[in-house]
Amino acid sequence: MFSRLSHSLGTAAVAVSLATIPAWAHHGWAGNSQEEFELIGTVQRGVSLAGPHATMQILADGHVWDLTLAPPARTQAAGLKEGTIPVGATVMIHGHRNLDPKKFEVKTERIMWNGHTFNVYPDRK
Amino acid sequence: MFLAWLQNSALGHAMRETGVWTYGVVNLIHILAIASLFGSVLILDLRLLGAWRKVPLGAISSAAAPIAKTAFGVAALSGVCLLATKATEYEGNPFLLIKFPAIALALANVAILNRSAAWREHRMRELSPREKSKLAVFGGISLACWVAAISAGRLIAYW
Repeated sequence: MFSRLSHSLGTAAVAVSLATIPAWAHHGWAGNSQEEFELIGTVQRGVSLAGPHATMQILADGHVWDLTLAPPARTQAAGLKEGTIPVGATVMIHGHRNLDPKKFEVKTERIMWNGHTFNVYPDRK
Repeated sequence: MFLAWLQNSALGHAMRETGVWTYGVVNLIHILAIASLFGSVLILDLRLLGAWRKVPLGAISSAAAPIAKTAFGVAALSGVCLLATKATEYEGNPFLLIKFPAIALALANVAILNRSAAWREHRMRELSPREKSKLAVFGGISLACWVAAISAGRLIAYW
């Protein structure tokens, strides 16, 4: 009885893990383009260091772009704190755009502003 | 609407504005609670389904049930905190719509179980075979609900 049960539990576990594969989008980089992406815009909403990832919004090409930065502690360690870059400032960002063209979201590795570079993912190109 | 209210609540503000480690630490508490909840529920449910028949059900339930109860409380509280951080971002997330009904079903299942004579009396007397198979159904439903809730919960972040 028990071995039959553990067998079916094992089968269920495999089914669940297979079902998860195409869903990976947010925490990994798989939902974002491999291509390096750059954008210049003005800060619409300043950096937020709330979890799970720091975020920010910029206005560019007539769209509001959601920037997903590193986790809060890592973003802060890169020198980027809430209020560091003022709203309305012009910034250049470097990262990877969401694969969904309807989503204006960039997983952002670097933000350049006023001669500063905030490299929140220094281990990434 | 509820999500917007939750996000703007004092709890939402506290989660966002009390330091860069707040989310991570609350997340850790949530995971420890889920591990304790699922660990205790897994052992109890497998026993109800017929594993380890030599171990009296009462011996397992008296250890597993209080851990599961406490862990659920901690998981629920820490979970509300995590949700409050950026609640509106989860609007339309399909995994949320699997997770919460699965939890509701698991709680309904345990509420009905608690009312059954077999469960109320299992520490005092030997259960009949019919009662044992009745409890096995509760164990099976419970296990399915918690596996679904935890799987959907983990996938919320990947939508």
